[in-house]
Amino acid sequence: MNTKILHILLIMLFFANSAIVNAQEPLNHNWDKQKIKGVRYMPYPPYSGSPFLNDSWVSGKIEFSNGEISDSLYLRYSAFKDELLYYNKEIASHIVIDKASISGFTFVARDGNTRVFRKQYYDGFMNGDRFFEILSEGETDLIVFRKIILANTMPYKGEGGILMDQNYVSAYQYFFYTPEKGFTYVRINTNAFLEKFAEKDQKPIRKLIRKNRIRITEEESLILAWKIVEKEGFKIIFN
Amino acid sequence: MKNSLLIFIFLIILSMSGRTQTKSFYGLYSDRDIYVSGETLLAKIYLPDSIPSRIICLDLVNQNGIRINGVSLAIRDNEAEGYLQLPDSLSSGTYLIRCYQKYNAGKIKTIREIYISSRFDRLEKTDQLKRVAPSSVFPDKKTDMIQISELEKSYPSLSKIEAGIRIDESLLKELDGSLLVSVVQADSSYVSKCYAEQTEQTKSGMIEKKGIIISGIVTDKKNSEPASGITVFLTIPDSIPGFQYFKTQKDGRFFFLLDKYFGSIQAVIQCFGNTPLQRLNVKLDELFAEPGKIPDFRLQSISGTLKETLARNISAVTLRKVFGQNNYAISPYKEKSTEDYPYYGKATHTIDPKLFVDLPDFAEISRELLPGVKYRNYNNEPTLQVINNSTHYYFEENPLILLDGIPVRDLNVIKDMGTSDIERVDICKNERFYGDLRFPGVVAIYSTKKEYSRLPESSQLIRLKLEAIQLPCKLAEPNLTEPSVPDMRQILYWNPATKPGSMLSVQCNASSIIGQFKLSVKGRLKDGTLIFSEKQFEVK
Repeated sequence: MNTKILHILLIMLFFANSAIVNAQEPLNHNWDKQKIKGVRYMPYPPYSGSPFLNDSWVSGKIEFSNGEISDSLYLRYSAFKDELLYYNKEIASHIVIDKASISGFTFVARDGNTRVFRKQYYDGFMNGDRFFEILSEGETDLIVFRKIILANTMPYKGEGGILMDQNYVSAYQYFFYTPEKGFTYVRINTNAFLEKFAEKDQKPIRKLIRKNRIRITEEESLILAWKIVEKEGFKIIFN
Repeated sequence: MKNSLLIFIFLIILSMSGRTQTKSFYGLYSDRDIYVSGETLLAKIYLPDSIPSRIICLDLVNQNGIRINGVSLAIRDNEAEGYLQLPDSLSSGTYLIRCYQKYNAGKIKTIREIYISSRFDRLEKTDQLKRVAPSSVFPDKKTDMIQISELEKSYPSLSKIEAGIRIDESLLKELDGSLLVSVVQADSSYVSKCYAEQTEQTKSGMIEKKGIIISGIVTDKKNSEPASGITVFLTIPDSIPGFQYFKTQKDGRFFFLLDKYFGSIQAVIQCFGNTPLQRLNVKLDELFAEPGKIPDFRLQSISGTLKETLARNISAVTLRKVFGQNNYAISPYKEKSTEDYPYYGKATHTIDPKLFVDLPDFAEISRELLPGVKYRNYNNEPTLQVINNSTHYYFEENPLILLDGIPVRDLNVIKDMGTSDIERVDICKNERFYGDLRFPGVVAIYSTKKEYSRLPESSQLIRLKLEAIQLPCKLAEPNLTEPSVPDMRQILYWNPATKPGSMLSVQCNASSIIGQFKLSVKGRLKDGTLIFSEKQFEVK
């Protein structure tokens, strides 16, 4: 009998508490979040190669210019046009996000690595806001502009048998960057890397790189070399 | 059995904790107890810990519970401060200022009585006043651990006043947040009462975690049933208009968040039917709390000294009005606006019609000045189309047409607009998206008058003047440079954010007003107890 009463009381209390919880929030999600602005994506010419950094849609987040963050978005970065696309499930549309409205974005690539992009004003040739991927962040950042360009090639038959003479190729540009001193371009080879330091530092840096068995031939070795050199306190000379 | 008992105890504790949160009250302090209509009331509010809302409402109601005006104040570190304008048109009598959070306003409010004498009433008629019945007085404790020193018993008018505030070390450790230190005119025959109104009402609203929430309901005009899936727009007209939208829920309700707006703003809320024939009715919820329970009042005779003070205050306020003085100054808005282009995107073209020859109507303007915009008016049924820059074809649908940022569907609204009516026209010639909304091109017209009179009156459109989050204010500096301007300040010092310290100093200048003044220090302890210390002096 006592157990029965207890169970009835339990049920009553459960409903009383659920009423308290239910009164807190409305049913709608994301109603108070900042909305994404953009234009409809128009497909690029179907040359061979890919204009995108990531061939498929990946889950990521964007940071708006005012610091607000919107996450769980399907993102795709077009390295050809330096623009960020997102897929709006609600209206089933591919949208190019207004570059002016965001300050950066992050996504998790297929290999599981998180890739961070930041919008920065590039004051060199073809100046303007660009998305740079952050390879190493510190007092001086190592960043890359993942540019894909159209290059002339031997004629080939593309989609639908159309004769084409161009393809998408990567033309990545690596920079050291500080907010005060700006950008300095660096090529991927040991000598070009050493040239970024003061003459008196170049010998010990070369020794340091050699000691760590690094040969700067591709992106990973450049990042590794820079991290080791930065740790030892060597500074980049900005021209 | 044992498990059930444990769950039972847990649920009881849970339900009790859910309710105890609402039991804590707000500490509401005003600069003075008696005012004259047309003055400004300065207020400081102490809030209990773990307040989920960012906003607290402060409003003024009369003895019948009718709300006169109100403001929304931002909460920082469980404290809020602001001001309330007391309208010039108020008649003499006791009024109530209330502070509450909208989501639980039905459950808890702190209410303080104040007396307002009308500048235009004759005092001879005023012999009695209504006071809140003494049964429900607010518990704030006088402490002797705050010592006010070096304060003279009297000062000549316009002289310098200096005082020290010594706070006991043991009290310093117990203090929570900042102190309110003020030097204001006071009359010991009228000390206002403050009380907390608590009810067991279970109805809760939305918590204003980020900013002010405006809510309402859309109903179908045909059957008065809630209309779901209707897109409601909120526009804040400006050179870069603010815009939000909300798709109504099953119950027809909609919500908007105003977290980046401050001070008085104009807003337009509107909705359009999902079919051309659907007619809707949009209704906003009350922006402030309902009157609730009004306390009992008792008649009390006015003392001679209070009558004298009232008469002096009326003269002082009238003089201040003549010289255009105010007792507060609004701090300039510091938060940087991050919106540097409108929600409809950067314009492909911006046209200023005044740079061209005068044109009489929009048809002429579109034909002569607006590239890629096709306006036609066949059989008095105007249509507008914008070219798509990507495909080089015209969009088949009407673009998003904006008048001063407000969406317009009836083209008859803009058809008569000539060069003199239009300041600029923004055109976006691509398919734009804003959240889940799609715009097949945009034509945004900015009028020269910005009076929104062209917008048709409709049950689907509400124009309103909103009091968004109040801008911070501080006490206005006395004008000492012009000796011909009388100094009639009743508030000599007001610092609602004084950082506690073992020794504080207060320096201010007395005004030309003579009579009783008091220096008071108010604060809150970590256990929520409100404490105060005060000392009176006279200005002769």
